[in-house]
Amino acid sequence: MKFRAKIVDVGCLNHFTRVVNTVSKLTKACVLRLTCDHLYFVLSGRVATGGVSMWCELLQVNFFDEFQLEGVSADANEIFLEVAPENLSRALKTAQNAKSVKIKLTKKSCPCLTLAAELPSLSSLSRVVTHDLPVDVIPRRLWYDFREPQMPEFDVSIYLPPLKTMKSVVDRMKNLSNYLVVEANLNGKMNLKIETDLVSVTTHFKELGNPPWGEDGSQSSSRTHREPELMAETRVDIRKLQQFLTGQQVNPSRAMCNIVDGRILHLIFLHEDVSLQYFIPAVV
Amino acid sequence: MKCVIEGNGIKVFGRAIHALSRIGDEIWLDPLEDGLAVRTVNSSQSGYACFCFAPLFFQQYIPDPATKDSQAVKCKLNLKCVLPMFRCVTCRERSVDRCEISIKIPDGRVTFRFHCRHGITKTHNLGYQECEALQAVFPAHLSPNVLMAQSKLLGGIVVHFPVSQEEVTLSVSSLKVVLKTFCVEENDCIKGMNTALMLHPDELDYFQVGEDSDVTFCLKELRGLLSFAECYGLPVSCQFGAAGQPISFTVKDITLEAHVVLSTLTNPDSESSSQPAPRDDCPVKTPKASTAENSTYEEPMEAEVCVSDGERVASSQGSEMFSPARHMRKMMQLHAPEEILQRPCFAPESVLTTPVTPATFKIRSLLFGAVYNSGDGKAADFPSLVYASDTEDDGGTQETISFSSGLQHTSADLRRREVLTVITGFESGNKRFQKGVGLEPFCCSQLHLVSIGK
Repeated sequence: MKFRAKIVDVGCLNHFTRVVNTVSKLTKACVLRLTCDHLYFVLSGRVATGGVSMWCELLQVNFFDEFQLEGVSADANEIFLEVAPENLSRALKTAQNAKSVKIKLTKKSCPCLTLAAELPSLSSLSRVVTHDLPVDVIPRRLWYDFREPQMPEFDVSIYLPPLKTMKSVVDRMKNLSNYLVVEANLNGKMNLKIETDLVSVTTHFKELGNPPWGEDGSQSSSRTHREPELMAETRVDIRKLQQFLTGQQVNPSRAMCNIVDGRILHLIFLHEDVSLQYFIPAVV
Repeated sequence: MKCVIEGNGIKVFGRAIHALSRIGDEIWLDPLEDGLAVRTVNSSQSGYACFCFAPLFFQQYIPDPATKDSQAVKCKLNLKCVLPMFRCVTCRERSVDRCEISIKIPDGRVTFRFHCRHGITKTHNLGYQECEALQAVFPAHLSPNVLMAQSKLLGGIVVHFPVSQEEVTLSVSSLKVVLKTFCVEENDCIKGMNTALMLHPDELDYFQVGEDSDVTFCLKELRGLLSFAECYGLPVSCQFGAAGQPISFTVKDITLEAHVVLSTLTNPDSESSSQPAPRDDCPVKTPKASTAENSTYEEPMEAEVCVSDGERVASSQGSEMFSPARHMRKMMQLHAPEEILQRPCFAPESVLTTPVTPATFKIRSLLFGAVYNSGDGKAADFPSLVYASDTEDDGGTQETISFSSGLQHTSADLRRREVLTVITGFESGNKRFQKGVGLEPFCCSQLHLVSIGK
């Protein structure tokens, strides 16, 4: 198993750091899946984490100047590592003005991801700062748990309102209730509702637009006959949603959510070279 | 004591207080002839800091009235009370014109009076705890390794280490300087992140390596001094020796001098080679003489181990557990009969406030053990013990007694000098520093603190 990669461009480094920061805000530990073309940060839904799952996909060529991978075996040319994204984030934080950043898989007393940042310094030699991040190699038999999630059969898919607005609404609502109902319809209308014994608050968004999923046939035909005004809703833990919205470091070029009535809230954020999917299960 | 700080000086003083707050919870105010010394020590006595402000720093500086008889004031203040006063000052710089600090012995108060703009005067009266002053005796000029670097360079290096990272290891050889996190390996697996970086000697202002060494110290405590130095662009010099010997950092300016002395982890390998301390009933010795007997220490000023009655102190010398009560009795026996044994007896004027040299005075210092969880329960009551050591003139006969800080005496009679040597020994099974009352054994490291009275 071998992995070496190098980032030389400052812009790529900043972008990569932002992605890692976003992931680190969402979870303390996740799986880093490395393939020849992609990097994935995967969190599989578990009761312990409240059932949320995350899938963050990066196209390797858009970040790294050099990328060499030798997976577990010839027919499974991938590496799965359990990492703490916070460590990676911290290591990258002070390397923002580095001339180059090399990441490689090494074995110190345990498997590590070694990050070597070459920083400009006053003397002629550049300073090299090395960070060793302990990782766990995940054996092949467990890879199935971290496969790409299937697109759920959603009832409504809608573009989200501007993130800043949505975030401030959710922040305020968090003070009043633990659970938030997200409902939307195919006419571009979305409501965020909370209800307590004393008060109920609803924020209405309209003219958001619905992503044109129908063409690729990923949805069942029954959906096409859905009443445009009919709302699909899920009730989720507001803290999970807030955590997701707060962690975003960059405004995505596309932000949308898919709602499976009463089951799951599926958020999809697309950037140029990164896609982030977050699944929040419904609470009864 | 009365002193007045003006304008910019208040910011500097405030920053110094902040730097001190990174180390300890209390500060000792010590008005000396040549300036005001503000000192602190951390709870486990493994870190000491001192900011000495020269009279030039103040608009007006009046130490005690010049009567020999008068009580010299040594006061200890809780930093929690002092910090908030200077917190606002550093940000609202222009609102405060003048700050007067005065110590009133009869009232038992330290008064901080801030004269602000628009005729506002804020007066803070803090009650202080009387105690002996505190000073580390560390012969920095005898350290084999000396590095000096610009604070900006050091700041840029230290930023790579996570703020929560406590211990770092500084390794020097004649070719390079390496700073890396001190990692504890558990089950063959490193915990947390390890960071390492290398410095070339050319980057430093001064580079002297007498012996290759790896010293491990607490970075968190140093950050205060580094940020202070960075604010004012002052170079920082660093003196250290082999592992186990304290490392000291100094920042100097015309108006002030700041020192931070931190104890370092001993090399576990050296423990096996250490010799048992010499046993002596009358342990008054010159430190120089002890060098020959004490093979662990290379520097003549390092503490000699003082043992009595076959008891040995828990330390890297492989001495046994120290029993304070027993030692105190022993010390009292050394007193001249007419002396009352309750009070410490003070040595004459030989006490110096600057690092001492062997020729000028002799210290008998006592090593005492840190808390052992495997030892007897009594030891757990005294996480660290302060002992008076005696100083002797060539012909002097005065000796001092030791007392434990648990019995800290609050006598107002501070006419006579005293010298206290505080030596903290740590023993470790897992080779880590522990802050506060450690109930686990520590790796042995030594920090000498000398308490002086006037």
